[in-house]
Amino acid sequence: MSVSNEASGWSCSICGGELEITKVAFTYMKGNFEVDLPACRSCGQVLVSEELATGKMAAAERILEDK
Amino acid sequence: MMKPNNVDITATMSLCPHCLARIPAERRTEGDDTFLVKSCPDHGEFRTPVWRGEPRISSWSRPKKPFHSGTHLPLEPRGCPFDCGICPKHRQQSCTVLIEVTGRCNLACQFCFAAAGTGDDPSLETIEKWYLTALEKSGPHNIIQLSGGEATLRDDLPAIITMGRELGFPFIQLNSNGVRLAADPAYARELKKAGLFSVFLQFDGTDDRIYQTIRGRALLAEKLKAIDHCAAAGLGVVLVPTIVAGVNSDNIGAILKLALELSPAVRGVHFQPASYFGRHPGVPKTCERVTLPDLMRAIEGQTGGLMKKEHFCPPGCEHPLCSFHGNFLRLPSGELKSLTTPAAECTIETVGTGRAVSYVAQQWSAPAPVSCCCDTNSLDAFLENHHSNTFAVSAMAFQDVWNLDLERVQECCIHVVAPDNRLIPFCLYNLTSAGGKPLYRRRPC
Repeated sequence: MSVSNEASGWSCSICGGELEITKVAFTYMKGNFEVDLPACRSCGQVLVSEELATGKMAAAERILEDK
Repeated sequence: MMKPNNVDITATMSLCPHCLARIPAERRTEGDDTFLVKSCPDHGEFRTPVWRGEPRISSWSRPKKPFHSGTHLPLEPRGCPFDCGICPKHRQQSCTVLIEVTGRCNLACQFCFAAAGTGDDPSLETIEKWYLTALEKSGPHNIIQLSGGEATLRDDLPAIITMGRELGFPFIQLNSNGVRLAADPAYARELKKAGLFSVFLQFDGTDDRIYQTIRGRALLAEKLKAIDHCAAAGLGVVLVPTIVAGVNSDNIGAILKLALELSPAVRGVHFQPASYFGRHPGVPKTCERVTLPDLMRAIEGQTGGLMKKEHFCPPGCEHPLCSFHGNFLRLPSGELKSLTTPAAECTIETVGTGRAVSYVAQQWSAPAPVSCCCDTNSLDAFLENHHSNTFAVSAMAFQDVWNLDLERVQECCIHVVAPDNRLIPFCLYNLTSAGGKPLYRRRPC
């Protein structure tokens, strides 16, 4: 799924707002990353897909944790 | 009879080097050294070193569950190693499948497991059958290694690569001496476009005297040019030195240092101590056998401790006595950081080839091209940077008729597709008797 498609069809579970692709900053241990992700226009809640969580984010986590 | 206190003996089976009869053998550890000892009623006793010094053989193991996938059963079974195909008693699946696309070669090396030089090339139809055999017997998630002879002597090699990709194999690797890759910069691009992902480049040292001895002529400039051309084409390169005691056993550190300078185009170094099958200069003396711990200690000594023997692990795929591997991260300071944590990684129990195929394939593939993108904080950039700066060092100790241990063979995951469509462990396929009689391989016409 493309990043732009990832935002469509979702609404925010907190405020009901629409999602749009936003540059989201992550900080974990000493790593700072920016990833384009669907986030709520109103309150900023971010949608992290299972694919990203178990794929690239998990890989980065293993590297930072030196596992 | 009592055995001495400092002797440890493990029973296995082997072959007589002269008549190829199956005979009992033992791994006999005396102090720090282990020998394969066997006796043939007709040809006497044979004693060959298989492990020497630290890390101790008693510490070199890794838990693994056997994986039975072989179905080949001959009409008149004779037992291992005569029923290969692979048979139901084999305890490991394939992680690398070799397809020999030619018997011809443009070098005449002193050491050659295939005793290559002449012969007819198999047709594309035959090669398709071999691909289908690999697919049927071990699935698509293997590394397919196109080998020979020298595979680049075939002008239709790109078509062979594309055929494999279209049949569903994602990782097609070329085993090459680099001569044609060096001569023609467009050739590497053509192979990349056809679907090749990496090149296993024969690379025995940093000094032309080494090539003169092992390969018959000076080759270093061509090897370096081949690496340049592969890098420009986006092909990962793994340097593969055949280590011969007294010829390049003192060049191990220099090979690693040069490989690090040439990384990330060079993804790593895969050492192979010389084996005495196919074409070779004769039976080695005991002191001429290079064992895996000899290599680990040489790496540590000749790199000034940049890489240490503690940084290497036994394999999760093949038998522990067959290989070692370690991964390193190149830091911006120029230092190396070991990514191998033996206490954790080396004790992970594996089933089948586990993560080995995808991990090795990822490591051996070329890094992403350097782009003009300034988005250095992106997750993708972080992961790519880690991949580009990871450098793999490994070694594989192939077995010949002198040190053949059937327990090791039964856990082999590197298989050759034989002309009759059987999958045969690499060492058995190439094994020849002391007199040159092959166990499996057909002699070229």
